[in-house]
Formats: sequence, C-alpha cells, structure tokens
Amino acid sequence: MMRDTTRAVAGLLAAGLLVLPACGTTSENRGGAAGGQQARADACKGPGEDYRIGMSQANLAEPYRVRMNEDIRTAAAKVPQFEVQFADAAQDNSQQVNDVQNLMTNQVDLLIISPNEAAPLTSEVAQAYNQGTPVIVLDRKVNGDAYSTFIGADNVEIGRKAGQHVAQTLLPQGGKVVEIRGLPGSTPAQERGDGFRQGIKGSKVQIVDSQAADWLRDKGREQMDAILKSQPQIDVLFSHNDPMAEGAYLAAEEAGRTQGIDFVGIDALPIPSGGIKAVEQGRLAASLAYPTGGEEAIEAAKKLLISCENVPKTQTLETELVTQRNASQVYSRENSPG
Amino acid sequence: MSDSAPLVALTGIAKRYGGVQACRDIDLTVRPGEVHALLGENGAGKSTLMRILSGDVTDFVGEIEVAGQPRRFAGPADAQGAGIAMIHQELDLVPALSIAENVFLGRELRRVGRLDRRGMQQRTAAVLERIGVRLNPARPVEQLRTGEQQLVVIAKALSLDARVLIMDEPTSALSSSEVDRLFDVTRELRRDGVGVVYISHRMDEIARIADRATVLRNGETVGTFDPRTMSTAQVVEAMIGRPVQSVFTTSDVERGDELLRVEDLAVRHRRPRPGRRDPDGISLTVRAGEIVGLAGLLGAGRTELLETLYGVGSAGPTSGQVLLGGDPITPRSARYALRNGIAFVPEDRRVAGLVLFHSVLANTVIASLGSIGRLGLVSARRERRAAQDSAARLGIKTAAISDPVDTLSGGNQQKVVLGRVLRTQPRVLLLDEPTRGVDVGAKAEIYELLGELAGQGLGVLLASSELPELIGVCDRVVVLRAGRSVADFDTAQAREADVLAAAMGEQLTGATS
Amino acid sequence: MTATLTPTPQREGARRRSPLAWLARFQSVLGLVVVFVGAIVFSPTPDGEIIFLSGENLTNIVRAVSEIGIIAVGMTLVILVGGIDLSVGSVLSLAAVGSAVLLVDNQLPLAAAMALVLLVGLVFGALQGAASTLLGIQAFIVTLAGLSIARGLARLWSGGQAVPIAYGSGPGEAPIAFSLLGERTFNGIVPIPALIFVAVAGGAIAFLRISAFSRHVYAIGGNEKAARLSGVPVTRVKITVFAVCGLLAALAGIVHAGQLNQGGPNDAIGYELDVIAAVVIGGTALSGGRGTVIGTVAGALLLGVLNNILGLNSVDENVQLVIKGLVIVAAAAVARFAPRT
Repeated sequence: MMRDTTRAVAGLLAAGLLVLPACGTTSENRGGAAGGQQARADACKGPGEDYRIGMSQANLAEPYRVRMNEDIRTAAAKVPQFEVQFADAAQDNSQQVNDVQNLMTNQVDLLIISPNEAAPLTSEVAQAYNQGTPVIVLDRKVNGDAYSTFIGADNVEIGRKAGQHVAQTLLPQGGKVVEIRGLPGSTPAQERGDGFRQGIKGSKVQIVDSQAADWLRDKGREQMDAILKSQPQIDVLFSHNDPMAEGAYLAAEEAGRTQGIDFVGIDALPIPSGGIKAVEQGRLAASLAYPTGGEEAIEAAKKLLISCENVPKTQTLETELVTQRNASQVYSRENSPG
Repeated sequence: MSDSAPLVALTGIAKRYGGVQACRDIDLTVRPGEVHALLGENGAGKSTLMRILSGDVTDFVGEIEVAGQPRRFAGPADAQGAGIAMIHQELDLVPALSIAENVFLGRELRRVGRLDRRGMQQRTAAVLERIGVRLNPARPVEQLRTGEQQLVVIAKALSLDARVLIMDEPTSALSSSEVDRLFDVTRELRRDGVGVVYISHRMDEIARIADRATVLRNGETVGTFDPRTMSTAQVVEAMIGRPVQSVFTTSDVERGDELLRVEDLAVRHRRPRPGRRDPDGISLTVRAGEIVGLAGLLGAGRTELLETLYGVGSAGPTSGQVLLGGDPITPRSARYALRNGIAFVPEDRRVAGLVLFHSVLANTVIASLGSIGRLGLVSARRERRAAQDSAARLGIKTAAISDPVDTLSGGNQQKVVLGRVLRTQPRVLLLDEPTRGVDVGAKAEIYELLGELAGQGLGVLLASSELPELIGVCDRVVVLRAGRSVADFDTAQAREADVLAAAMGEQLTGATS
Repeated sequence: MTATLTPTPQREGARRRSPLAWLARFQSVLGLVVVFVGAIVFSPTPDGEIIFLSGENLTNIVRAVSEIGIIAVGMTLVILVGGIDLSVGSVLSLAAVGSAVLLVDNQLPLAAAMALVLLVGLVFGALQGAASTLLGIQAFIVTLAGLSIARGLARLWSGGQAVPIAYGSGPGEAPIAFSLLGERTFNGIVPIPALIFVAVAGGAIAFLRISAFSRHVYAIGGNEKAARLSGVPVTRVKITVFAVCGLLAALAGIVHAGQLNQGGPNDAIGYELDVIAAVVIGGTALSGGRGTVIGTVAGALLLGVLNNILGLNSVDENVQLVIKGLVIVAAAAVARFAPRT
C-alpha cells in the first residue's frame, strides 16, 4: 500500500514534466480516423491523469467470467489512476453492442472487451479503436486487427496438454476415453477438442463417445447418464470444462462407477466451486488452468495509458496442469493477495 | 304480516361513487317472515343498497341495525356471519368445480384435517332436495344450464342458514316450473321467519310473492306499498315517476309473405353435450311483419333452435329444411346468416352480445363494417355517424357514443345489441330473451321497436321465458317441448295457461288434475 | 317512450373523464416522458455535457430497441386478439440465420433472399395461428412449441454455428447493400434499423386507424363469442394476426443479421419476454381487446431509455434486472387501477 502511494506520487511528479505536450489532446480529435499506433500515443496521458476503463463482459453466468471481472477489479484497485466500469451483456450479442456503445458514449479512456461472439462485435470494436480508444480484447477474439492487443489462452494448446496428460500419464497402455464437449459451434469447444486429439495422436488412447453438454453442469450429468448405459468400459472422461466434468462425476457416482474412471476437466478456476478444489478433493484427476487474463489486461492498460509503452498484438497465457500433487498449492497461490 | 321487531333496519343510507350519488337517503326495514320486494329502474340504487347490506360496500353514510344492534360490516363474510346472505344476479360460481364444492366454497367441511367430500355432497343433496332440484352434487357446474346454475346459487345461499336472504333477480334464468319451485321455497323460508329481500323486474312475480314493496328512484325511497293492492301501472308509475300507458304494444300489421319456414328441423350432433337440447323435429313459419313467440320450459331447446337457424348451433347432420323467402338455406356460420339477412340477438348480452369495455360506437358498427367502408377500410367519420344514427333511432341513453358500453344500463346495453343487429339490415330477426335484466321503461321501448320493425316487414322470432311478454307482444306463439314444436297459438285467443300447459305437456283440453 | 324520461345518472360518464383515466390512456407515453426526464437528470455529464441527450445517444436508443419494437408491433396485434406469441425470439434467430445462409452460402440475390426469409416468418406464424384456432389449442402452448421448433430449425439451417456475413461481390460474400442495415443514413445520424422500426410502427398505427380488420381484432380480443355472433371471421383474423407477427419477427431477424453481420442460431434467446414487456408497459391488456400500437412503441422506447441510462451509469446488471422488473409492475399497476378507480 505504502509502496503504491509512493510510486503514484513519483509518477505524478514525473507526469507533470513529461506529459505536458500531450495535454492538448481533447475528445475533439477522437472523431478522426486515427490509426492504431497514433491512437495509443493520443490515449496515453501518463500517470498524472485519471483514467476510466470500460469492461464489456459477454456474460456473468459462467464462474470463469465472474472471476475474470474480479481479477480485473483486484488488479485495477492497485492502480490509483484507474476506475473501471463494468457492463454485462448476458450472452446477448445485441446487448453487448449496446454496452460498448454506452461505454463509448461515456467516453471511457480504454475499452476491455471479452466478446460474446466475434462477428457481431467486430465492427463495434473497430469503431472504438479507430476513434482513438485503445481496445484490449480478452479471451475471445474479434475479427480483423482493429484492436490494441488480444490476451487469451491457447485452447488448442490446452486441449493438447490434456490429451498428452491422458496419453502419457493416465493411460500409458491406451484405453477408452469419453469426451463431453462444450456448446457446439463455439470456438473453444472446437479448439479444445482438436487439441485433445492432437495430444493423444499416436497413442493407443481411443475416443469411444463424444457428446455436447453446452458447458453446463446439469447437461454434463444428463449426457453422462446416457453414456454410462451405452459404454460398459470407460477409462477417462475428458470434459471441455470442469462443471461438465463434475456433472459427469455425479452421474457416475449415482451409477456406482466412479472407480476406474479418471475425470479430466479444463479451467481449474481458483474458486471454492472450481476445478482446483475438485482435484484437491479427488473428484477430478486433473484440470488444466484456463487463466482469465484479467490481471494481464490491467497490466497492458497501464502500459497503454500510463507508461506509454508498446504492447504485443497477441499475448498468449500459459496454462498449468493441476493434479492432486499441486492442487492446494496452486489454489493458495492464486488467491494470495499479492 | 308480522309486526315484530325488524331483522334488519337500514336508515339514511347514502353512497357516493366519485361525483355520482348512487344512494341519497334510503330507508329499508326487513321483518322476520316477510318477502320484501325492492323495485326501481336500473340505476335507481337497488344494487348499491344491497351491496351495502351484504357487506360488499363498506364506506357509506347511514346506519345498519341488525336485530336492534348497530352494525358495521367489514366485508361479505362479516355480513354472512350476521346471517345476511345474497344471491347475486351474476352467477358467482367456479365452472370447473362441482355443485357441492361450489356450495361449500370457502367453508369446506373437514374431517380429521381432510376434505369431507361425502359430507359436503350429502348436505348439498339435502339442500337441492329442499328446493326440489334433482342434480348430482358431484357434477361440475360448467355442465349445467344457466337456469340450473341459478338454482345452485340459491341452494348455496340456503345452505348458509341465513336469517336475511337477498335475491337479486333470481328468476331471470328460470323456467316457470322452476319459478314455482323457488316460490314454494321462498314461502317456506317465510314460515321459518327468514326475511327475504326480493329484487325483480317482473310485476307478476312481485304480486305473487311479495308482502311489501319498496320503490326506489334516483337513489331515494319513493315509498313502501302493499303490492297486492297496487296495479302494475301504479308501480311502474312510481318507479319511473310518470304515468305510463300499456307496457305492451301489439302490432296491428298486415301480415305479408312467408319469410322463414322451418320444416321438421332436427340436428343430430356427433358429440352430445349434457344439458343441450338440439332441435328434434321443429316446424314453424314466420311471415313478413309478424312477431312469432317461442315458448317452452328451460331446456326445451329455444336457444338451440335460434342458434341453429343462425348457423352457430351444434355441428352435425341436419334433417328437415329451412327456407328463407322460399329458398332452402343451410345456415353454417354467422357470416352466412348475416349475408342472407338473418340477424340474431343472443341470450346473454354480457357474455355473447357485447364487448363490455369497448365503446357504444365500436359495439354498434362491428357487424356492419362492410357497409361503412370500402376495400377493408373504414372512415371514422362515417362510423361515428352510423353509431349516432343507431343511438338516436333506438333512444340509447349515453353521454357519448365513445363511452364504454358497460357504463350503460341493461336496457340501453340491449338497445346497443339491437342497433348493431339492425345495421346489418336483416329480413328475419331472431331474439333470445331480449328483455332479461332490462327495466320496465326500456322493456316498453324494446317492445315498441319490435312492433315498428314488424311494421317495416321484418319477420321476428322471439324466445322468452316470460309468458305475459309472449302473449302481449307476439302475434303467434310456438311452443317447444324437449326439442320439438308441440303447439302454435294465435295470441288473440290464447291464454297464458294454455301456453304453459302445452309447454309442460299437459292435455290441452280439459285439465284433469 | 320519448326522451323525456328521467335523465339517467351520468355516473360512469363523469368518472371516465377524470384526469386519472386520461392518464391511464396515455400511461406509457407519460411513463416514457417520466423516464426520459429521469434519464436527463441522472445522465453522466463529463465536461458539463449531458451525454444522454447527445444526438448519437438518442438515435442509438432507437436503434437498440428497433428489433424488439418491430416485433412488439406484431405482438400487440396477437395480444389484442387475446393470444400470445412466445416463438418470436426463435423466429428472429431463424430469419437471421436464413438471411445469412441464403446470402452467403446460396448466393441468392438480396431481394429474393429477403422475400424468402419474410415468407418463412409469415408461414411459420400462420401455421401457429392455424394450429391454435383450428385445433383449439391455447396460443401459449402452440407458440411455446413454436419457440422450440424455430430454434431447432435455426440450428439445423446454420449447422449449429453462427454464419458470418462478409460483404462484397465474390463467392461467399453478401451484397454490400445488406450491410446498410448496420449503418446510418441522413448524414450518418439516423440508424437504418431505427428507420425501419419507425416505418413499421407508423404503418401499423395508420392501418389500425382506418381498417375494418383492426375493428375485428379488437372485437375478438374483447369478446370472441360476441365477435363471432356479429359475423366477424374470427379464425381468419386470428391466423392473419399470427402470420403478421411471424412476418415482423422475420423482418427483425433480417435487421438483426444486418446489424451483427452474422446469422446466429443462438441469438435472441428470451427476446419474447422483452417484447411482451414492451407491449404490457404500453398498456395493452394480456386478456385482449384493449391496447394501442402507440402505447407499445412508447413502451419499447421506455425500455430502451431505461436500459440506456442504466448502462451509461454502469449500474450493476443484476440491479438493472430488478429495476426493469419494477418498472413493468408499475406500468401494469397503472393500467389496472387508473381506469376504474
């Protein structure tokens, strides 16, 4: 706390000298069709200014996204110049378009968006970016390149790691895997599935059934109910996220078949209902962390607005394999206030 | 009759709705063992007064004394607790529930915490027995005819063991035999010391049953009379505040060609509905300029005949034929009937005749929009002119034709239905109980209108439960019994007793009882 | 007999003209004014400018409610005849998917694709109307089934994935004209979807004023039996009304696809409730026979303004839900009590 304040004061003093030439910038020249690089230069007013950041979240029905907002809030709280406004589109593309427009009407200095879908939001994001507002795209992409930076994990890589873990550690002799997929047509479901198949390539692991459960815990349970009836032998259940894996676990538990099945999920959220706890408590054999990028987004915002640095166009977040060995350690690390 | 202390005394009752004084200063006493008739045109304040007495209206000026003690009811349940029960004009029944469940609604019998269905059905059966009705208490109310439902409502009130019973037009849907039964029950109640407040528009009933009659006009008491020594004309004069000539106006029109001819009409519908009496051999004729009455007991099939002629009756194979102006027709829908010049005024104007919350204007023109506009478009100006024209012609009393029709009195509502029907320029007019719930003044106006229409060459077929009305207004009366036409009287000769006897199936010649 | 009878007391007549009743008649318009004024008061004012009142923001509001508003016009008719249409959100999505697939995958000319999509909506609505009237099934149930069926068709037609729309003249590209739906006209001020909404609403208001059809609609909703006995072609009118509602939902779907540059099979979930809310706030009775399109338009705009000002102030989404719910109850309460007390 003390350190933050000191740094802020120092920054303020520095800003007084350094950023003066940039102060002539007003909202007037935002309307111009400024390019990406120039936009960043205009937006960056150094540490002497206060900044309003708009965060347009696709939905807050998924715990993952709640955590993302939380991470942003926590990270932003450490930057005294930042104030964040949140908007939740409740899984509705049109609503998210409205949200972005409202944030822009409100003249936010930087936009963070985790888009519901790519195509519907591309033009809205591009418009904001071309008006000179830096845009950080989180988790899900938009089309084109009219944004400052994309921060997200690599779902193919995560899927591949999951596949490798299954092929090398859980079933080195080969075996039968059942897959529970996310919402059909959604990119993460596609990529996690593809990655998993790459990961088990060349091994004797075989996918015997694959059903979609739309990311939902209750649907995961429902699908598993049916699968258990048709599949006499299952060695590993691979689910595109933890909640569906937990749902599937419930179904197996009810059928008395949890023994002999290893449940592998993705996300490993560091929350009480999340995958890390499920691994720690032995329901899941493994989960792959899907980081929210919230902290990284505020880090990027600091560079874009305060220290006037460049940020890479794409930042890929590293995943982490969570197993019984490291679960409790990862959990406490992720929830430590530092 | 008895001069004992009154069961209930209302003094100086006044009630204001917004800017309108519904009751100004009304006094009314009900003694034990009397039937006290309450008379007055619609809007005279009867309903408000009774809603006050039954605890439905609680904010009013004036005093209520029950057995000498001042009381102020908190609600209908409170009034019922004090022994005051009301039979409403609108049937307050839950259609899907059985008769017994309706009778005990809100005060269900329980045994060891569970519903005592058997007990409720037995006691319901006993009450029904008392008013001489044979109905299975387990039957859902929605399967009953209107008249039967009315009897259930009466049974419900009786089961409350009320000391003061308010009957608001209890006979409006009853056949004459049912009316007799009701009067027997009423007399029995009177013997038991119950005080009955009896609201009705039917003078003959009041003369038959009432011991005293209080007349209201414009929210004030005009006076209390002995109905047996008073002529109908005097009562009507007191009600409307001026002398009247005869209530009925018989048309003396030259009868023209045969307009409507029904020959041995019968409908055998595929799925018979309980309580429905479809035509089963009906023959009759209506000539131009003629008003033909349709008599019969409740359930004789009067309504069903009119519905069949209008094309909205039961679906099913039909035998016999209907001829309109000599050409056979097959009525299959209201549109078809209207196109062919057959118009219909249904039995219950509130249920089937009007959109109550729509304006007089909208209700008047809905059936004749084709003649008001072109190509599916309507001119608001012509629409308004048409409605004003109808209102003026029929003497519809309303502040503005844009007023909702439910702000009108019953008589004026009925005139709106008539106005709509006449705008379709019919040749044959079918009417089902057009004067039910209509005050005396409006009744006379409707009769006069029917005479006028007949004078213009319309054929009118009028179904009614009121024999004096049929005899007084019609040129001929066709009697139906169990779906068949059984007699055809010329009203110049026929007496009420003859018609009634035919309807009940007694020998026409020489009563042998 | 003559008109010299004691004048009937003008009880209800006097009551009807009370200010309360007047208010009830225009409740949604007044509500809109109230919410509008509230929005001005609570508008964020960076640099002293009331940003709620900026031209761009106001036109944005109309654009944002355009899809809901277009459907709400059709829904008003359906509710006026005493029905309900729960399928509109799914039909919107079906039409959006249809637009995208026909333009991008099937390379149909713009006019043909639009006509086909509108026809799909019209036929879908008509079928629902027919099922409801001819089979005697409640509209609620029929359109609940329709909601499911249209959603399923949308997913089948799109292969379960949103179909992106790219513009151009090459293969796999939609005619550029279609992208106009996402743009603004009149010097870039008025969004095209807002213009379509205004045109639909204006057309409906005018048509209802002068057509015999509208009298039939009101009569059926007011008292179906009385309407039938008055010779109103009840079945035909009801089917037509459902068909129109389906058509307008499809039109909204086209607008949706144009605005979002894709046909999403999972879009517009729950829109039917927003649409019904707009109609109810507009003073139309769910029991039928009572209501106006003007009210519905005001109701839709009211929801739009509310949504906008809550969004501008970054009110928590969950709090927003509560506030919107309370507004609906308030509007319904005004409708319930004002005309009679």
